[in-house]
Amino acid sequence: MSDALKKVFEGLRVADFAWVGVGPIVSKYLADHGAEVVRIESSTYPEALRRVGPFVDDQPGIDRSGYYANFNSSKLGATVNLKHPRGPELIKRFIATCDVVTESFTPGTMAKFGLDYESLRQLRPDLLMISMPLYGQTGPWASYMGYGHVLQAAAGYNHMTGWPDQPPIGTGVAYTDFLVPHLAATALIAALDYRRRTGKGQYIDFGQMEAAVHGLGTAILDWTANGHEQVRLGNHDMEAAPHNAYKCRDGRWIAIACATEKHWEGLKAALGRPEWCDMDRMRRRWQRINELKEIDRHLGFWFEDFTRLEREPALQTEEGVEGPPVRKFTTEEIVELMQSFGVPCGIVQSPEAMHADPQLAHRGHYWKLQHPVMGLRTYDGPAFRLSKTPTELRKAAPCLGEDNEYVFKEVAGLSEDEFIELLADGAFE
Amino acid sequence: MNPESPTIPLEHPAGPLAGYRVLDFADEKGQLCARILGELGADVIKVEPPRDGDPTRQNGPFFKGESGPDTSLYWWTMNAGKRSVTLQLKLEAGREILRRLIALSDIVIETNTPGDAAPHCIDYASVSAANSSAILVSITNFGQTGPYAKWQATDIVGQAMGGLMHLNGDDEHGPVRVTAPQAYAQVNFQAAVGAMVALYARGVNDGVGQHVDVSMQEAVANAMDNTQQIWDIRRTNASGPGMHRNASGVKGARYLFETADGWLVALQTGGLIGTGANAIIDWLAEAGEARGLDSPEWRARLTSLQPLPPEDVSHVEDTLAAFLRTRKKEALVEEAQRRGAGWAPVFSPCEIVDSKHLAARDYWIRVVHEDLGESFIYPGAPFKLSETPWKQRGRAPHVGEHNIQVYGSLLRLDEAELRRLKLKMVV
Repeated sequence: MSDALKKVFEGLRVADFAWVGVGPIVSKYLADHGAEVVRIESSTYPEALRRVGPFVDDQPGIDRSGYYANFNSSKLGATVNLKHPRGPELIKRFIATCDVVTESFTPGTMAKFGLDYESLRQLRPDLLMISMPLYGQTGPWASYMGYGHVLQAAAGYNHMTGWPDQPPIGTGVAYTDFLVPHLAATALIAALDYRRRTGKGQYIDFGQMEAAVHGLGTAILDWTANGHEQVRLGNHDMEAAPHNAYKCRDGRWIAIACATEKHWEGLKAALGRPEWCDMDRMRRRWQRINELKEIDRHLGFWFEDFTRLEREPALQTEEGVEGPPVRKFTTEEIVELMQSFGVPCGIVQSPEAMHADPQLAHRGHYWKLQHPVMGLRTYDGPAFRLSKTPTELRKAAPCLGEDNEYVFKEVAGLSEDEFIELLADGAFE
Repeated sequence: MNPESPTIPLEHPAGPLAGYRVLDFADEKGQLCARILGELGADVIKVEPPRDGDPTRQNGPFFKGESGPDTSLYWWTMNAGKRSVTLQLKLEAGREILRRLIALSDIVIETNTPGDAAPHCIDYASVSAANSSAILVSITNFGQTGPYAKWQATDIVGQAMGGLMHLNGDDEHGPVRVTAPQAYAQVNFQAAVGAMVALYARGVNDGVGQHVDVSMQEAVANAMDNTQQIWDIRRTNASGPGMHRNASGVKGARYLFETADGWLVALQTGGLIGTGANAIIDWLAEAGEARGLDSPEWRARLTSLQPLPPEDVSHVEDTLAAFLRTRKKEALVEEAQRRGAGWAPVFSPCEIVDSKHLAARDYWIRVVHEDLGESFIYPGAPFKLSETPWKQRGRAPHVGEHNIQVYGSLLRLDEAELRRLKLKMVV
């Protein structure tokens, strides 16, 4: 049946001026579901991620970055030098054929080349355009620079990550780069659907910080309604106990959370009902939250005593008998044990473990795509599976400007002679 | 009732999704997703069990610390602007009403453990039987099938199994979760994209509905930055870099610094290491605090992109740290930005609410809680659409607040019928 269905965004063309993380992740959704997305770049000012590793063989190169590749599957690549006298005009010829324009430059950059929404809609009245800089198009910080690593600080994620008595280290990633694109894509596709039904395009002013604040859970309302400032709690939680990560003997960590009484009963059973679990002050969730330190102490000991290395034999002792450490479970076996008792539990997985994760493999999360320079490489797919119009990462990321002939000759309509002349003159650098 | 009290939820005929209807059966993994669709114009109906309502009404923190079905700040945040009906899906009479609701809906969002939705008739077979154009968004911990499909998880397990937690923290303390639940935030946002793709697919395919199977673990996996590619290409495992940043999986330059009034972040030791170093060196020199970094030799070394020996790195870090410690973060960031360096302050929730920038953007909105006789500041538009604006639609609903509205106007059940259903505990 799916063969008969149209690819979701088939027939839509996107001029993608956006760069680094946020913008390319938004247009990746369109590309991986059938849109013709063309990355518009320039060799005179290459996309930042093309210059950041990991590079294949650790050899830096414009077409060798796995960082860039991952966010640009299924896209075409074109280059134009907007500072060339004919650059803006050439790209406008292409944009006139596009349904969507995406960009994430500092506000004013597109306007400088006559590529702002008001100018572009003259070419294409039903154009849909989204701008996605850090702080939006207006306001005192509009021109501020930065990446997701620093926006996570301004948007509250550093404050909310780390241990209470330690600095606000934040996540180890450019966090907001991987949070806000999904909101931008939601708005963009909703607006596309509106356009499909009404024929009306529009402009979306997307400020990454404003979207990021929506990911802070209850932290904003706790402040505005209660005057209570939430803080980072390490691996603890305001609402649940036990709630932590514990170290196993092989050096890996396991996260456990008991958010409900059912989880707690399951944990007690999984542990074999040690005495401390049944103390009166452990009975209710609120009591346990007050006893977090005590609980962590007991569970810490349990993990020391009961976990074993893969190569160590599983020692068995009689249930309920006090004695020396019981090296009983490997890290994987603990997770299976806890899950068999209905306790939310999982290994803190490294990138290596993610690569080998059987669940992700079952879902086909990681796509392997062949790239002419980089070879067969790993790409992330979306978190969802569509039963009838499946996602398809159709090709690896584009090499810089690899589709210039298609974009400028076939689509924008330059003749062979014009193309060659402009090429020689540096218009496509 | 106060005649001036607003209609909850406010009408939103100008949104891009106006005219669509969403049924929300979700827990923490999908309530925010449904709210986002509502603020884009969809009519979102939260379906709750009769009497006590949705279990997440018990999620803290609570307004003034007092728990109750209508005081959960979690509930307020995730369900603002929705309508609420009660419906007992364990009874056939309830499932009959459910089928009629689904027939009038476009998107259904549920978060049951795989297999648990079928008895309640919110599995795809039942939903598509009631409405072949309906889109069912099933949001689960690990996906509908596979070896971990039935595993239990909460946010921290999602952050752990999704690979994000391994990338946070430091060598001394181990991995750390983001305290504000990010596995939940991620899966809500990414499920919204899935719902939109399916909605668009329906529009171009003669109204064909489908099943959208969303995994929280996968949603978190998409937040691993470039570390999966670093493993793929370099076979290096990135881990929490503490106050530093990772570069291709290896701990690199320091990024977090203390100021007189808090903290700020500044990549590449504030830009002192890299091609733009001179701008920051000049600033330090003007203040007389360059500690020799303004010599031609140091300038050459710092801008060379060649790795520095550890003692040089320490000197650079210490110089910047001493400069920042006596000054205030917002003024520092303003000056750094003026000099071309992309610094940012570490803001707490209170400081975000006080932000001059967000105030100038008219970001915050006040949501009236006429039932409490108060109004509160909520986050505003996450995106500004010129033709079909985002709109917040009022406070979160009470349990079954819109039973009469929805069952009466939408399903055309008369009062006697509704009373009968209520007596039988169906609604």
